[in-house]
Amino acid sequence: MLQLIGKRLAQLVPTLFFVSVLIFSLQHLLPGDPALVMAGEERDPVVIEQIRKQYGLDQPVPVQYVMWIGNVFTGDLGESMRLKVPVSELIVQKLPVTLQLAVMAMIVALVLGVAAGVLSAVKKDSAWDYVINVVGLAGISTPNFWLGIMLILLFAVNLGWLPASGYVSPFEDLQRSLATTIMPAFVLGTAIAGVIMRHTRSAMLQALASDYVRTARAKGLSERVVVWKHAMRNALTPVITLGALEFGTLLSGAVLTEQIFSIPGFGKLIVDAVFNRDYAVVQGVVLVTATTYILLNLLADLGYILANPRLRT
Amino acid sequence: MSEAPILSVEDLAVTFSGPDGRRTRAVDGVSFSVSPGRTLGIVGESGCGKSVTSLSVMGLLPKVGTAISGRILFEGRDLLRESERSLRDLRGDRLAMIFQEPMTSLNPSYTIGDQIVEAIVRHRAIGRREAAQRAVEMLERVRIPEPAARFHDYPHKLSGGMRQRVMIAMALACEPRLLIADEPTTALDVTIQAQILELMRALREETGTAIVLITHDLGVVAEVCDEVAVMYAGQVVERAPVEELFRFPQHPYTVGLMGSLPRFDRPRTRLAAIEGAVPDMSRPPEGCRFAARCPFRIPRCETMPELAPVGPDRSARCWRAPLEELAA
Ligand SMILES: Nc1ncnc2c1ncn2[C@@H]1O[C@H](COP(=O)(O)OP(=O)(O)OP(=O)(O)O)[C@@H](O)[C@H]1O
Ligand code: SF4
Ligand SMILES: [Mg+2]
Repeated sequence: MLQLIGKRLAQLVPTLFFVSVLIFSLQHLLPGDPALVMAGEERDPVVIEQIRKQYGLDQPVPVQYVMWIGNVFTGDLGESMRLKVPVSELIVQKLPVTLQLAVMAMIVALVLGVAAGVLSAVKKDSAWDYVINVVGLAGISTPNFWLGIMLILLFAVNLGWLPASGYVSPFEDLQRSLATTIMPAFVLGTAIAGVIMRHTRSAMLQALASDYVRTARAKGLSERVVVWKHAMRNALTPVITLGALEFGTLLSGAVLTEQIFSIPGFGKLIVDAVFNRDYAVVQGVVLVTATTYILLNLLADLGYILANPRLRT
Repeated sequence: MSEAPILSVEDLAVTFSGPDGRRTRAVDGVSFSVSPGRTLGIVGESGCGKSVTSLSVMGLLPKVGTAISGRILFEGRDLLRESERSLRDLRGDRLAMIFQEPMTSLNPSYTIGDQIVEAIVRHRAIGRREAAQRAVEMLERVRIPEPAARFHDYPHKLSGGMRQRVMIAMALACEPRLLIADEPTTALDVTIQAQILELMRALREETGTAIVLITHDLGVVAEVCDEVAVMYAGQVVERAPVEELFRFPQHPYTVGLMGSLPRFDRPRTRLAAIEGAVPDMSRPPEGCRFAARCPFRIPRCETMPELAPVGPDRSARCWRAPLEELAA
């Protein structure tokens, strides 16, 4: 097992290197001269040249990369050209927001998805199964922005139960924090719940038809133990892997959903940065989210190894 | 048969209806019985309904789309009329089963110890520690080397033969009165096969458990069974004590099987094909199921024969039985 984990860790290095090069070079392939953007109204070539020098933009690209990655390792992701604050500070500010939203959405997705998936597998070909599949498909195919707007109309505008937009930190006021995030979390969660439901259903169907489930029944175990212990344990492994990947996607920020609910997370940060050609911010955010995604991927793999006695040896 | 049977199956019929509305009568008119301490063999070609029969006794057939009729008397109770709850109390306790597929019948995610302990604590009012002791004891009884260490192993670490031993240990953990063994050795290679059969024989001596041994290997039947029920196309076509069956087979199908008795130098040979094919069970013939392949066929065979006595302890489903008279 250690060998397997070592191999996965060793793969991490080239992956991260490749991703960082990609992120760095995309920046330079995009049209527009960052020096010009920074100069703003200033059109004096001398000033522009000085900006170039100051930010190392006059150096060859590989040198620029080395300078950039060197800084990254010391935690310096550069400075936002627009807001004039360190990118790392922006990230530290926004990350908890996105994290909170992602965790809540994931809870919604797992609870709904796994419960619905197990139920529809156990009640295969029944009305339950049919209804769950239709609802699940609807959940997958409903655009997030539409569901978001509908929820706002219903719970904020008509019923007035929840605030339509904005964000409150849970450390300030937990109840209001939940009130501001429950709708976007639901929107994001249901979209994933549909996918998780389908995976859970097919994995459960396979497990329930297996010989070891028949053995479990032959021991006289109750259906509850058969389903939730014997079948579930084997069906859950692929579901967990999927969940980890979906969580990674959530962490990169839900652009539209954050926009609709005015949640100041990664999604909003990156959109603002792209529109303002705030390169350092885009680079920083993408680098952090990509790295997180890769690490989560690794964690999912490790989890898979740990959950699987055959690989654990 | 002096002692009252522990299990007696009477006129069992099982029909599956597929989602497309197709109905398959997998088992039809199956009757047999087995007494305490005895071993009944059920033989027949692949697909003749052996597994369906044993799963009906266990109550393990799918609930949806399955129609079962007849009687399954176990210790005097008709299992087809018992609630699911009381069936669950029986299964794994007084009634146990081991399966055809040792490689996949254990849960890959739990240790074998856990899986045996689970069976014990389900039916006995004892703590986990005591149950674990009992599980190790059982592993020892099925001759698994270093049982205390194997207790903590996951199934993938064990060979097929070892896994089947674990299945036997699990099945016998609560000292069942009846053990159904559905082709327990088919998936294993010859030497292991012999060891497992020897083990089952020894365990029967020790415990007095009645065994229903399903197989398509007449060699196995000759070695370990007291009585035999021969199945063809979902029906029992002949029942007899084992020596008599081998001496004077009374049904043309059994005669055909004997003709293809596996030779001792090649014990794994399956029942060699008798000329012709098994009838399609979604459209079974009206008359004798074996008619299409039977050299003794007469016009009367177009109506279905009953399983009728042809001697003191035996019966056959054939208009022309007993067959000796024909040979004479
Ligand atoms: N759940 C089911 N639904 C529909 N048909 C089934 C089902 N289970 C078994 N059958 C059919 O019933 C017939 C008897 O199958 P069974 O498994 O009892 O045969 P078998 O005698 O055990 O054969 P083998 O020696 O290959 O194990 C087969 O034609 C099979 O296709
Ligand atoms: S009833 Fe007729 S066809 Fe059937 S086995 Fe006997 S002789 Fe053959
Ligand atoms: Mg079978």
